[in-house]
Amino acid sequence: MAGRAMRCLVRTLSMSALGAALAVSVAACNNQTGFSGSVGNTPNGPALASYEILGTLGTPFTATVSDAQSSWTLQGNVPLSVIICNNVLPARIIATKTTSNSNLLSLEAILGAIVIDLQSTSAPFGTVSVQAGGTLNSISAPAFPDLRIFAAGPADQRYSALVEDITTGFVINSRAPTLILFDSPDGKVDATFFGNSQFPTFTLNMTLNGAVVATVVHGPDATIREP
Amino acid sequence: MKDLFVHRTARGLTVPFVIVICVLLAAVGSARATSTAQVEVGFVGVPPPNFQNVLLNVQSVRINRNTDAGPANGAWETIPVPPGIGDVPQNADLQIDLNTSQDEPQLFNTASVRPDTYTIAEIQLDPNNPGTLIPDCPRIPQPVGSTADGCINYPFQLALNTNVITVTNTNPGGLIAPKKGTLAQLFLQVSLMINQAPTTPGGPYTVTVTMQSPPTNPLQLGTITGSVSGSATAATRGIRQLAVTAEAIGTNTPIATAPVQNGKFNLALPAAGGPTGIYGFGTLYDLALAGGGDTYGAARLPPLYPGQPLSQNFAPKGSQTLGNITGTVNDNCVATKPIVGATLQLLIPPDSVTITPPATPATFCIEFPEQCVAVATANTDNAGDFPLPGTLTIPAEFENVPVLPKKASYAMEITAPGYDSFFVQAIPSAGNKGGTCTTSPAGTAFTTCEFALNTGYISGTIPITPPNPGQTTLVQVFAEDHGTNNIESSLPMPLVVTNSNVGTCPGPPSYSCVSFTLNVPTSDTVPQGFDLFATTIDLYQGVSDPFQGHTTAVLADVAAPPPPSAPGICSTTTTANFPLDQNIDCVGHGSVIGGPSGVANADLGTSVVLSKDNVQITNTAVQNVTTDNPNNSYAFCVPADTYQLQRLQLPVPAYSVVPSSSPTPVLDTNTVTVTIPPPPLFNTPKPTPSATATGGPTPTATLTPTPVATPTPNVKCPTTCTNPDGSCPGICNNVIQTIPD
Repeated sequence: MAGRAMRCLVRTLSMSALGAALAVSVAACNNQTGFSGSVGNTPNGPALASYEILGTLGTPFTATVSDAQSSWTLQGNVPLSVIICNNVLPARIIATKTTSNSNLLSLEAILGAIVIDLQSTSAPFGTVSVQAGGTLNSISAPAFPDLRIFAAGPADQRYSALVEDITTGFVINSRAPTLILFDSPDGKVDATFFGNSQFPTFTLNMTLNGAVVATVVHGPDATIREP
Repeated sequence: MKDLFVHRTARGLTVPFVIVICVLLAAVGSARATSTAQVEVGFVGVPPPNFQNVLLNVQSVRINRNTDAGPANGAWETIPVPPGIGDVPQNADLQIDLNTSQDEPQLFNTASVRPDTYTIAEIQLDPNNPGTLIPDCPRIPQPVGSTADGCINYPFQLALNTNVITVTNTNPGGLIAPKKGTLAQLFLQVSLMINQAPTTPGGPYTVTVTMQSPPTNPLQLGTITGSVSGSATAATRGIRQLAVTAEAIGTNTPIATAPVQNGKFNLALPAAGGPTGIYGFGTLYDLALAGGGDTYGAARLPPLYPGQPLSQNFAPKGSQTLGNITGTVNDNCVATKPIVGATLQLLIPPDSVTITPPATPATFCIEFPEQCVAVATANTDNAGDFPLPGTLTIPAEFENVPVLPKKASYAMEITAPGYDSFFVQAIPSAGNKGGTCTTSPAGTAFTTCEFALNTGYISGTIPITPPNPGQTTLVQVFAEDHGTNNIESSLPMPLVVTNSNVGTCPGPPSYSCVSFTLNVPTSDTVPQGFDLFATTIDLYQGVSDPFQGHTTAVLADVAAPPPPSAPGICSTTTTANFPLDQNIDCVGHGSVIGGPSGVANADLGTSVVLSKDNVQITNTAVQNVTTDNPNNSYAFCVPADTYQLQRLQLPVPAYSVVPSSSPTPVLDTNTVTVTIPPPPLFNTPKPTPSATATGGPTPTATLTPTPVATPTPNVKCPTTCTNPDGSCPGICNNVIQTIPD
């Protein structure tokens, strides 16, 4: 009986450790692993959902992203990962193809490694919408300040990043290109991106209220700071 | 929202371009590539009747030589979802619709595998969310309080409680036996049967999903093979692999890509068959040869028929200097505004076209773009810069452009929704200079490739019933060329309408309305201008609603704004106020379907257009045309309203004839008017007792597997929307309408 209990305890501890490792490896928030040093002295943020705009590569779209506090409008091409730091759930994203062809546009809300909601369309100028964290009945007011970090890089390789304001740090594990929206930052924002040895360069743009305030091209790691 | 009839095949192929990249990834320069085979996987759907969509969330397909292989067996070969959907680690789904793959297969992906005889194949569905069913509206009126609604998302659960669907074949040839250096096809016929409809509001269907391979229905597939002479540079870091891409004719939409191996290529492509002609309807493709340090090649092909192979050879010149074309695309009317998501294409004429001097291939394609083939495509990023970056091993297409001799140029087309498209001549440059471009017809005055696109504006108002306090209605506005279904533009962000921000338009009497301003092209529209329509993006009981519950507002024949009078002078605006009878109102869902008679004498070039007041809103291809029991079906989920239905017919491609351009579908002048009655209302003091409360045709009563009606008097509004009195639409109505010849 004692042996069984011990095995159970060991199994539980092992699974806990594995779960913790996974939690760090996915889009979550923890600045205590791999981000020590000059950045990463901020406490952990809550778990983040990522919104993947997928489908036929290069398909252009417009999208509106809203959490319970702020909203953003953006344009881009498939694929694009959208992550809201400091998000206040529930959140909703609406995307419309801006092309009259039959390319696929698939919108997926992902929490950890689980697709929690998805919609797809192949219709010309088709619209899709997904939610995370419940029902968002109303689109929030436009974000102010509207701080965005756009990270471009090879589309088939993942990277990690620490994005933080003066109070909270968010660890992101994603693939480029990624649009990081920082909801209601407390003070100035900086971010450090870590690619693997095969990652050539990051091209980072930080925009504040629509104006580009910082640009960095560097690899395999890169840091961008709000001036 | 709106289906443009390009071609039946193109519609069915929802993951074309991603396959290109995946094939290249699979074959690039590794030792493995030389010792492996390629497997192309596709699906053929057998859906249950009376569903608008039958969606499966596929995570991967895998194959094994051992039928009794366990999940952890090391011999599994996995064909993942394309990289445009997933990545490593896998955390996204490819959603396939069994309805749209009934007649022609939907390609899934192509991947490298060990040459072997494979006897088992598995589809792995998302274990957390295996799929979604969207039924048509019930064909019989539902009792008040029923929650068995149609045109909404229903989850499903698998009866066997496993997310893995399996098919085996232990015959000597197995399911598939790909050989070294060749491309083999594995087509899986996926059938979904309903075991049990939901018994609780929002509950899941219980279904059984099975597979067969090869499909029992005639496989609509043709092959294109050929040789490529010359010596391509092996794919190395910085050089894309030499490959042939099949594109839907006249577009840059890749359908499939095959690497050139040992000087040969082999493509397996959907081919429209059916009762038309000797071999079927036929599908038209362009081929583009690119990569390997070779010159580009292009071909326009005669129709491809099921089981009827085509051959096309290329003779490119190898060892070319590769250059790049980079630059930016901005708005010519708003200073420093980048255009995000603009598309740039390099066009060349098919190899068979002889260009007579002084014309050049570039000037020919600028004058006759419809006769040319796209061989490279790029898009702008959020700063308006192009191209998007590639990788070390697979650079962006615009980073691998062969430099032509004697500083010759390529034709390049720049397009963006809502902007005037235009053509330039472009010369790539080696190094990091980014090439040069010119708009001069004479091909002079080349400068950096910095573009500014013109646009015009349509501003106006749309009447709308304000949402109740605390609720929001999202309104999207589209502009399409007048009299067509060619959408040119939409709002970059939906109008967010609340009870407090709705405006008032003068009457008399005055009414509630919202204002909009829409970017539209000024120079490349048909002369008549635009048709506008406005739709809503709704929730249903708090979750995403696949179809809107508000009426669609339309406005036909709006004059196009004139082009800028001078560079940067872009204050050209047309006013377009939707009339009051186009009020956006909460009416609930509805559906119209073809029923057992469907569309008379349909073939794989037939679709049905749904219009309102002479504005085309949406269309759909006719389904189930070539199966063993064809019913030429069609279905729309649209708000309850009165619409016109018309047949849209693509001409049958002439046998063995290479068309000069993509054929244009013809809209039948005969129209059928159909009225979908509004649903009865929930939560009213006097609920409407029947589905015909406001008149219109009575929904045809036929037996159909619909969700079990569960009388529930406590349905909470809003369903898909709410009326000012607090009521909301109940169970939607279905109308059967055949389309005569």
